Amino acid sequence: MTEAAQVVSAPLLEVSGVTKRYPGVLAVDDVSLSLEAGQIVGLVGKNGAGKSTLIKIIAGAEHADEGSLQLNGEPLVLHRPHDATVAGLAFVHQDLQDVGDLSVAENVRMGLGYPRKVGLFVDWAELYRQAAEPLARLEADIAPRDSVGELSVAKQRLVMIARGLAQQAQLLVLDEPSASLTDEEIDHLFAVVRRLRDDGITVVYVSHRLEEIFELTERVIVMRNGQLVADESTESLDRSSLIAHITGHEHAQTAVERRASRGVGGRPDTEVVLEVDGVSADTGVNDCSFDVRKGEILGVGGLMGSGRTEMVRAVFGADHRREGTVRVHGAEVSDRHPSESMAAGLALLPEDRKTQGNIMDFSVRHNITLASLDRHRARPRLPAPSGRMEKQAADRRIERLSIATPHDRQLVRLLSGGNQQKVVIAKWLEQGADVLIFDEPTIGVDVDGKEEIYDIMEELAAEGKAVVFISSEFSELVGVCHRVLVLHEGRIVGELEGDAVTEPAIVEICYSQH
Amino acid sequence: MAETNTVPVSPGSAQPGSEGSRSRIDVLSFISTYGVFITLVACIVIFSVLDSDFIEIDNLRTQLGLAAPLLMLSLGLTVVLAMGDFDLSIAGTLSACAAAIVVLIVNHDWPWGLAVLVGIAFGLGIGAINGLLVSYVEMPSFITTLATFLILLGVEYMISDGRNITGAADMPDLYRDLGIGKPEPFTEFTSPVWIAAGLAIILWLMMSKTELGRYMYAIGGNPEAARLSGINVKALRALGFVVVGFVAVIAAVSQTARTASSIPRVGISLLLSAYAAAFLGAAASRKGLFNVPGTVLGVIFLQAVQSGLTILGYDRDILDISRGSILVLAMLLTALGASRR
Repeated sequence: MTEAAQVVSAPLLEVSGVTKRYPGVLAVDDVSLSLEAGQIVGLVGKNGAGKSTLIKIIAGAEHADEGSLQLNGEPLVLHRPHDATVAGLAFVHQDLQDVGDLSVAENVRMGLGYPRKVGLFVDWAELYRQAAEPLARLEADIAPRDSVGELSVAKQRLVMIARGLAQQAQLLVLDEPSASLTDEEIDHLFAVVRRLRDDGITVVYVSHRLEEIFELTERVIVMRNGQLVADESTESLDRSSLIAHITGHEHAQTAVERRASRGVGGRPDTEVVLEVDGVSADTGVNDCSFDVRKGEILGVGGLMGSGRTEMVRAVFGADHRREGTVRVHGAEVSDRHPSESMAAGLALLPEDRKTQGNIMDFSVRHNITLASLDRHRARPRLPAPSGRMEKQAADRRIERLSIATPHDRQLVRLLSGGNQQKVVIAKWLEQGADVLIFDEPTIGVDVDGKEEIYDIMEELAAEGKAVVFISSEFSELVGVCHRVLVLHEGRIVGELEGDAVTEPAIVEICYSQH
Repeated sequence: MAETNTVPVSPGSAQPGSEGSRSRIDVLSFISTYGVFITLVACIVIFSVLDSDFIEIDNLRTQLGLAAPLLMLSLGLTVVLAMGDFDLSIAGTLSACAAAIVVLIVNHDWPWGLAVLVGIAFGLGIGAINGLLVSYVEMPSFITTLATFLILLGVEYMISDGRNITGAADMPDLYRDLGIGKPEPFTEFTSPVWIAAGLAIILWLMMSKTELGRYMYAIGGNPEAARLSGINVKALRALGFVVVGFVAVIAAVSQTARTASSIPRVGISLLLSAYAAAFLGAAASRKGLFNVPGTVLGVIFLQAVQSGLTILGYDRDILDISRGSILVLAMLLTALGASRR
């Protein structure tokens, strides 16, 4: 009887004194915490604060150097990720780990074995029936037969959550689950998470979007420099105290305050650098026209799927234009190859720094000089880069952008997300473009890192560059942009300038289109 | 990479053996970095102890001469592999060119220079076709070059009728010199060794010292990021196949000039060795990238094993088994350490 009572009182998951060292870094420093059943717990912290490593340890993907785990009062030893799955711990990673070519049902039941007929053939009818059950619990409008690769990102995440349910998970860890989701999809996700909580499942919700943490969670755990620095009920915190925990220093400014304090007003009265006239493309871009002046920061807002990325890719010539012209300093730019746009003074810092922005297995130095290699020659006529000149250039950018890297030969793969983004910025600063198009530069970047990226954009504008800034977080646009374009279905449907640039105004334009 | 980490969480206590395990990791990372070197040195020492003929300078000369065509092929492959492509047709180009050149010289009395020029044009043409199909039509390189490989084997059969064509008497001395001559004043080694060495130096400079090489590695790392950085990805990938086509012809000339004959399907036996050498070279490099010095090391490795076992009197069966096993061992040492990094 006493034994049973003990089991009931034991927390779902107990983490005791977990420490993990990587060469030169103490990634997780003596972290202890316990999670009760049926809670929604926020896990926040800057990039490199140790959240991911802690999660990997709980997932059995990394092994702690010190410390231990207990599940329902029993010691939990994880040799590999499968052990965590068996123990009822489920993880939905930011980079979706589904198999796109397979059906929803195959993904949901993956790792659990598929039902068989005659002991050999997959019993598809039974498989679809088994997969339908967790999907129904999520009230997801997804057919088990659908191919996962054709689903939206939001639905793919639900499929991964359904996999967790199929595995009888007691604990579900969602890492940045709202990235790339529309507002409606986020609402649905929140409803799903709350329902799972009511069913007794504990949900750990990792996000850089603090609004979501306040809306959804009951308790917040904050990590900083590998340590657990706060573990409090969400009610007891407000935005600025949470940011203070995350950054370790007291400052938290809203976008509106930032705009006011920096004196961001209307567009400067300078010459036009970039002129885009009637651009359409097969990617859904429809008759877009706008211009950007020297020293201006132009924001581009719109919901997911409104064609923001597609528009700037067509402008840069990353995709072909069906119609329309692009001029830089009055001269028309062809869409034949990105190199021609670059020669004209355009730069595109793409949405995904991992798959489009950086060569992850190149060093910081070689990424920074990649787009301007012909300017780092020891002898002007010999197409051979000078290591010394490259190092000087890289060191200069590393210092100027405060890129946190031990040295310029570090592989970019080993940097945190915010620093990877800074390497992309450094590459284009080194290339010396006049027009810099930033596509979602702050995705997955922590609070301090975001602020640094805003500062960089403002410095560039002050130096006379024209800056285009795409963001899903409209408050960011309010904080830095002179002017904001709003897109819907590949068209520019609204434009706000100066004092008219407010978050409600952007949202209003987005939603008045339906 | 994390999955293979076997340092366990010892529940409820700090790990007492953590110091010991860290020094073990150092040893392993040393082995992984130098795994290929270690295996090579071990082989050389063992062969030398078992039979002193192995380290004779004469054997060294002979072995380098034998390895030269393989080295040329492997170097060409290194360029396309660095960009993330495969080229299987290289063996077909070599075989077809070898047959064509020998037939033109021996059976049709063509001047050897003209025959070689025709061969080079042929090799460049095959490279251009491969490059066009893979890079511009966007067909997968493996299957595309497998297809051109099969076609080229057919072409070779048409030219040679599937027979050995020999004609030492009908071959001009100048042509034979390309295979067995020892050019003044560099009489230490035969011409193919010098040609292969020259090729190695040129490609090494290209891959590791020029903008072109940097762009090629960027394409191998991430073609889309490379394109968005202004690199002409299509043209460079196509260029890689043209380089391979050219190198295959040079190898064909060296081979036929040395043996004064064309042996049907001569390229096939070289093909797999060339891939083995390039992959050994990548395994030997710190970053795991295909690279010219690594490929040279890989070729020396394979040739040393072959020579050592032959001197010791082992037959073909043992030879192949040993080469395969050593390849696995070298890769194993590398993988073992890579999981620790």
